[in-house]
Amino acid sequence: MADGGRTIGVVGSGIAGLRAAKALLTCGVDAEVVIFGDEAHRTYNRPGLTKRPYPPPGAPGTAMAEDLEVAGLDDDALTWRLGTGVDTADLRDKVLHLSTGETFDYDGLVIASGVRARTSTGGSGGSHPRRTLRGLDDAQHIHDELRASGKVTIAGAGFVACELASLAGKYGCEVVMLESPRRGPFRGLLGKRISIALRRWFARHGVTFLPGDPEPSPDRSLFVEAIGSVPNTEWLRGNGLDLSDGVRVDARMRVPGHEDVFAAGDVARYPDPWAAGRLTRIELWKNAIDTGDLAGRSLAASLGRGAGKPRLGYFPNTTSEVFGLRIQVAGNPKASDAAEVVRGDPDHPDRGVLVRFLRGGVAVGVAYLDEGARFNSTYIELLRSLKADPAGAVAAG
Amino acid sequence: MRILVDRVRCQNHGQCAISAPTNFELDADGELRYRESFDDEDASDIEDAVDSCPVQAITLDSDG
Repeated sequence: MADGGRTIGVVGSGIAGLRAAKALLTCGVDAEVVIFGDEAHRTYNRPGLTKRPYPPPGAPGTAMAEDLEVAGLDDDALTWRLGTGVDTADLRDKVLHLSTGETFDYDGLVIASGVRARTSTGGSGGSHPRRTLRGLDDAQHIHDELRASGKVTIAGAGFVACELASLAGKYGCEVVMLESPRRGPFRGLLGKRISIALRRWFARHGVTFLPGDPEPSPDRSLFVEAIGSVPNTEWLRGNGLDLSDGVRVDARMRVPGHEDVFAAGDVARYPDPWAAGRLTRIELWKNAIDTGDLAGRSLAASLGRGAGKPRLGYFPNTTSEVFGLRIQVAGNPKASDAAEVVRGDPDHPDRGVLVRFLRGGVAVGVAYLDEGARFNSTYIELLRSLKADPAGAVAAG
Repeated sequence: MRILVDRVRCQNHGQCAISAPTNFELDADGELRYRESFDDEDASDIEDAVDSCPVQAITLDSDG
């Protein structure tokens, strides 16, 4: 039985919520930890939704849901409330109002409600559905349609759009990517020169680029919008929080003004370790793991459990693969004001190119593109240099 | 506990080598090399490596 019947609510069943819950248990917090998720699924590996094809339902081979389930979900100390949304929260009285009409009183709260896919308002979709890809159900629909259909049109230029294009190629689909001006593949993250080279790489692998706004193809084939995301914060309105871009937190993931409320994952906007005085919100799997873990440890510390004062000691990083080209990114290239090529030629990313991103002369991010892995040890060395007290480096720089 | 990597799934993304350099590294050819056993003090890094793998190729096995 929990001491004093303490309860902790975790809003969001993704990896950030799960890691927060597990950190609480690891720190020895004696409480009932309840995870609320509006999906019907326990935590799954979200990046895996666009990584590889799956056999059709009923065919031999591992089904997607089974393949992507995250290990270690069967902890008796965790209570799962799946298919249960949180409509509103009263942070003063410490109560959540659930989509089922129930209320939930908490002693500690972790906000890990993530983001949802953004949709364009323009265009007349008519009866033709625009799909988005965020959750496991979305992905299962899209995989089914890619298997059945010969063509997909994709709006967007980020990780989801680019990985989806590559995935559609593996299913044997014709792939059309809609480009708005100045928005080639990964341009927002990696800059113009690499984006132009990536566009060539995509075209060489059969992708057709069409100019235009997100509009379904007139031939009624599959149309997917992957044009960004919107933080899920509406349920927190009315509590006086800064919700201008996700949920603002301090360096320990605590929501200012609330000793017992923490946020983590895609929704958390925290002090940027690579740019003093700036806030950042990062939608990467590794960021969700690390901030989730930190939020859980910070909440445990506020309850007198766990050791020391937890703090951020990481840098977010990710790996993607598009048409056989591996793209690794670490740190926060978006915060940079300059880029320098460390190895290779940006116009030929398939032969290996390693780029360091600088802000005020200090490295704030690294990207490594290669068909093989010839510069990987150099990439890891650059990461280690990022890892070493980044905030201190920025302050000194 | 010991580390198991499913070589069929592994695509040498190298995320594990970043999370837990004590046990994982990519060699010059980009192939993963790893050590199965780990110390308790590295357990949280290893857990990170398991979770970070984009193709979920890493599992922990109780070695009895």
